[in-house]
Amino acid sequence: MQLGFLVDLHLCMGCKGCEIACKVENEVPLSTWRLRVKYVDVGSFPETRRTFTPLRCNHCENAPCERICPVSALHYLENGIVNIDKERCIGCAGCVMACPYGAIYIDPQTQTADKCTYCAHRVASSMMPACVVACPVQANIFGDLDNPTSNISKYIQKNQGNVQVRKPEKGTNPHHFYVNGGNVTLNPLASHRINGHQLFNKITTLPIGGHH
Amino acid sequence: MVHETIAATNAVVTLDVALPGIVWPWLVTVNMWAKSIGTGVIFMLFLLLKKHPEQVGSLRFPTTVVSIIFIHIFLLFTLADLHQPFRMWHIFFFPHVTSAITVGAWMATAFVGLLFLLAFQSFIKKNNVAFDKTLTWVVLLAIPVTLYTAGLMSQCTARELWQMPTESAQMILAALVAGSSFMILLSGSKLNYEAKKTLGVVLGLSAFMSFILYMSEYIFGPMKAEEVAAVLEYIKGDGPYTVMFWLGQWMTYLLPMLLIVLSRASKSENILKLAAILALAGLWLVKHVWLIIPQLLPMS
Repeated sequence: MQLGFLVDLHLCMGCKGCEIACKVENEVPLSTWRLRVKYVDVGSFPETRRTFTPLRCNHCENAPCERICPVSALHYLENGIVNIDKERCIGCAGCVMACPYGAIYIDPQTQTADKCTYCAHRVASSMMPACVVACPVQANIFGDLDNPTSNISKYIQKNQGNVQVRKPEKGTNPHHFYVNGGNVTLNPLASHRINGHQLFNKITTLPIGGHH
Repeated sequence: MVHETIAATNAVVTLDVALPGIVWPWLVTVNMWAKSIGTGVIFMLFLLLKKHPEQVGSLRFPTTVVSIIFIHIFLLFTLADLHQPFRMWHIFFFPHVTSAITVGAWMATAFVGLLFLLAFQSFIKKNNVAFDKTLTWVVLLAIPVTLYTAGLMSQCTARELWQMPTESAQMILAALVAGSSFMILLSGSKLNYEAKKTLGVVLGLSAFMSFILYMSEYIFGPMKAEEVAAVLEYIKGDGPYTVMFWLGQWMTYLLPMLLIVLSRASKSENILKLAAILALAGLWLVKHVWLIIPQLLPMS
């Protein structure tokens, strides 16, 4: 079994329900995120549109974070999830530096690395990850990539040629796919990033571990 | 970058609180800088023992002490950078050998042990023959101890700027620059001008090669990778690290090269010392800029 995620970006409407569900389920501290939705506005007024891209750990088959972790705090589970043992983590932040998706952070409360685990604790109890349950439009599809009859496998087959991963050139083989994505949504260098006020806040970068 | 080249796209991130920017701060710069001195002086002691054996006898113990001090500064700042420093022992009891951090920690520990053996042989036993035999092994171990940080940087898949084998070459050259500079200052009147000239040649050539590597990356790096181009923007034009980058290049490489030529022309040891001081101080700036700029790039 190799668990994977797929997000259909045409369905996602940026409600951030998945963000909140993740926060609540995993007790993610203030100022950090395991999952967040990025908004990118494209075009010039009045011809504009807004895109929404949920971002979380990609649970790579060839995970740089697992390779660089000096104490195996980041490790693979048999179902393909890249899990983290916070009791073992020494907080070297090597994984934060290695992850090309910026999906790992230092938890300001425990001072250890943390990230999305595809809700491994829920999966172990045969439940879906919290973000999947919360999504009102079923944009998040979760399942076994090794099983051709699973929803995720069928979705990938149905959308052949329109399934992308982030930064494929890094050779990480992510187990996290996007349908109907594009350069603007998946490539951080394809959109302009202005420091200062954003839609709902004036924060653009979080301090590590609660301090710089 | 697409947003700068295609007006029709005009894509702007309107909401995304990126996770932390500077993850490895100045503590890691001190780590690399101190390690360069710690291993560099050992390389230089070995070189001097081969080229000027009659001059170096009294430098065996002081050089070992300097190496011990700077390797401990390196270890201290490594520890200080950990968010859970009291769990450092996990590296030895739950090791993950694919990580350059683990391999480096083991090698650095063995290196410290050998340095104390050198100190014992030179200060307590006063046995130069045994010291010189041990030194050969210490030099051999100092090479991977110097290089492992380059391996670690290359394992950072997210930071395209840090490529192998460039980082390996830069680490060794940094150790040679730092080691030769420190030995020029440490030796005082114990080395004659000929021996110091040898150190000056090492400093000048290492600085020259290191400078070529930086300039090669500066000019040709952006032609290869979009991320490298974006990162190097931070040290170009009015980028936030432009001044620090060029200050580092002048202090560590250009001015020392010039001063070494001048010192050879005028046979001035003071000019050589000035070159050494500039190189040592500048090396910190050079390392810091190269450490920080890839971390400024948004990953999402």
